[in-house]
Amino acid sequence: MKFSLLLFILFHKLKRAVKTNGAYRSYIGTVQLRILIRTADGKRGRLFVFDRGSLTSKRGGGFDADAALVWADAATAFKVMASGSDEESFLAAARGKLKVEGMAYYIQWFTDGVKLVMK
Amino acid sequence: MADIKAGHLVAKYLKEVEGVEIVFGISGGHIESILDGFTEYGIRTIDVRHEQAAAMMAHAWSVYTGKTGVCFLTAGPGFTNGITGIANAYLDNAPLVVICGKHPLRDDLKGALQEMNQIDVVKPITKWAATCYDAKRIPEYMALAFRQATAGRPGPVFLELPPDILNIMIPEESAPMPSRPSRRYTIHPDDADLEQAAALINAAKKPLFLGGSGVGLSASGDRLREFVEKSGVPFMLLNYGRGELPDSHPQSMWDIGNVGLLVTLGQADLVIAAGIRFNWLLMSGGVIPPAAKLLRIDIDPQEVDRNRQADVGLVGDIASVLAQLTPLVEKRSHSEWISTFKAAGKAFIDSELKARENPSDPIHPIRLVAKIQETVGEDAVYVVDGGDTSYFGQVGFVTRQKAGVIGTSSGLLGCLGTGIPFGMAAKLARPDKTVVVLNGDGSFGFNSMEFDTMVRHNIPVVVVVNNDCAWGMIKHSQEMSIGGDRLSCSELGTRRYEKMVEGLGGHGEFVTKDEEIVPALKRALASGKPACVNVMTDPTVTSPATPLFYQSLKMQ
Ligand SMILES: Cc1ncc(C[n+]2csc(CCOP(=O)(O)OP(=O)(O)O)c2C)c(N)n1
Repeated sequence: MKFSLLLFILFHKLKRAVKTNGAYRSYIGTVQLRILIRTADGKRGRLFVFDRGSLTSKRGGGFDADAALVWADAATAFKVMASGSDEESFLAAARGKLKVEGMAYYIQWFTDGVKLVMK
Repeated sequence: MADIKAGHLVAKYLKEVEGVEIVFGISGGHIESILDGFTEYGIRTIDVRHEQAAAMMAHAWSVYTGKTGVCFLTAGPGFTNGITGIANAYLDNAPLVVICGKHPLRDDLKGALQEMNQIDVVKPITKWAATCYDAKRIPEYMALAFRQATAGRPGPVFLELPPDILNIMIPEESAPMPSRPSRRYTIHPDDADLEQAAALINAAKKPLFLGGSGVGLSASGDRLREFVEKSGVPFMLLNYGRGELPDSHPQSMWDIGNVGLLVTLGQADLVIAAGIRFNWLLMSGGVIPPAAKLLRIDIDPQEVDRNRQADVGLVGDIASVLAQLTPLVEKRSHSEWISTFKAAGKAFIDSELKARENPSDPIHPIRLVAKIQETVGEDAVYVVDGGDTSYFGQVGFVTRQKAGVIGTSSGLLGCLGTGIPFGMAAKLARPDKTVVVLNGDGSFGFNSMEFDTMVRHNIPVVVVVNNDCAWGMIKHSQEMSIGGDRLSCSELGTRRYEKMVEGLGGHGEFVTKDEEIVPALKRALASGKPACVNVMTDPTVTSPATPLFYQSLKMQ
């Protein structure tokens, strides 16, 4: 629940940044990408769709995407994502709690964008 | 002593002083007496079909043998065609001696055939460029050229010789040869710097060693093994350093590839960067976290603080620096750190690892690489040339050979077309090893006429074309920037490159399905001929190198 809420809040922060934050708008540029963050069982998650400067989102874990951040469980996902720490993500990946499907670079791009907005 | 044709002095110097056995180039009237000298002194000539291939082969010869490569160009167009290869060697710091013709001095400014100011063109892309005006001084200029190419940080040098001094007879004793070849002198860091470096290494909990071409150019494999095995530091060897220690060494990071490296770098507390420049591929040093300590080892003092100030810098040849450093470091194991980052790294390339294991239709490029590796093995030389192709080849191939996986188009010049010349030089340098070039279909086009050279000189290289019917990296980059509906100059067609190779006397294979890859490769290898295996792969697949490349040119 907390995980789904976190993703919802994240979407709204990014959505607002698209409208009001020039640096973020220029960062996402004309990119067309579908980024999914979900739990391994596919029950929870959120899809972020970047399409030439616009951002839309859908709730749920069962979408096709260019890259997906897959968490073993929602509790770990919430804990690590809320911490915003690269080291925590790294250690979660090392413990088998997190993996990337598709290109890691796209996920990096997405999280760098999140950092830009949260700055 | 009798008289000698002065042009023969070039070959005499090469053979008798430097022990050069092989040279690369194309003929021309201006250099005829140099060519005749090669015959006179028994130097093997590999005559290619475009001078850029000659310069690239000579450059590659120095990489694969550790000996300075030599190419010859005729005046004017021979010279201009060689420029790309010279520039590539310059940006790669590769020792290369370019011997070049020149229009006659007698006819200067009269509109002589192939008259142009070559020196001013070549100066910015060479360590040293000169014209010899006196036949008697040819050996002296040759010695200068070799010294300049190899001293300190190596690089290409250029020597032009006009017919006025080549096409005359002179008394042989008037042009004496030096008594010994050029030699490399080593440079050593101060003891205090070495101690500081050792203290950093001994204190580190999460160290990483990044070795670049300097590691290969100084042939530091044995010293490096002693260092990493004593210090326990994990390592990644890139560029011409690749293969100085086997990729399968337990401390090597190649099983997590470039993506794993980038992820891990962010967590390191010490980065030891040896013989590697912090250029765009390492985001000019930006990939190294601000909190990490940095130890740089380089033969060029200018590199030590370039783009990121080092905490400690050791200036010198990598092999000799490591020989001095290793006794000062404590015996350590970093096995826990290594297993942590390997597990994390693999989680970030999960899909890529799965794509290697599973057949797909159309064929995924990393699957093609995995199948080549499975067929050819670790004791082979792999050359990779293309855009996306380069990424997949460099992360997918595994080698025990020195310079055993080179992404030739991934150097600073980013020069497509380098793969085939490098593959040919590798086969000439190591005839008992299998040499495979993995080419993008775009990059294949630049030097594929060299299949004729391979056939004439019996150089059986296997070239596998990763054929996505496009200049893939550019196409995918355009899809991100200007959009897939406005692609410009980035598409190619379905072309039967293997038939072209058959027409030139080589062996050809055409592959469209996963199960055809291995049998086709086996037939190509068994043919004993230069071979082209043209493999149709998934045109939608992009490598992580492409968005990196795209971002590097984004200005707003
Ligand atoms: C000599 C040269 N010309 C043009 C370029 C620009 N360029 C960079 S990557 C690329 C596409 C490469 O296509 P291909 O060799 O088919 O490999 P792919 O990306 O499809 O794997 C091009 C044209 C270059 N780097 N070098």
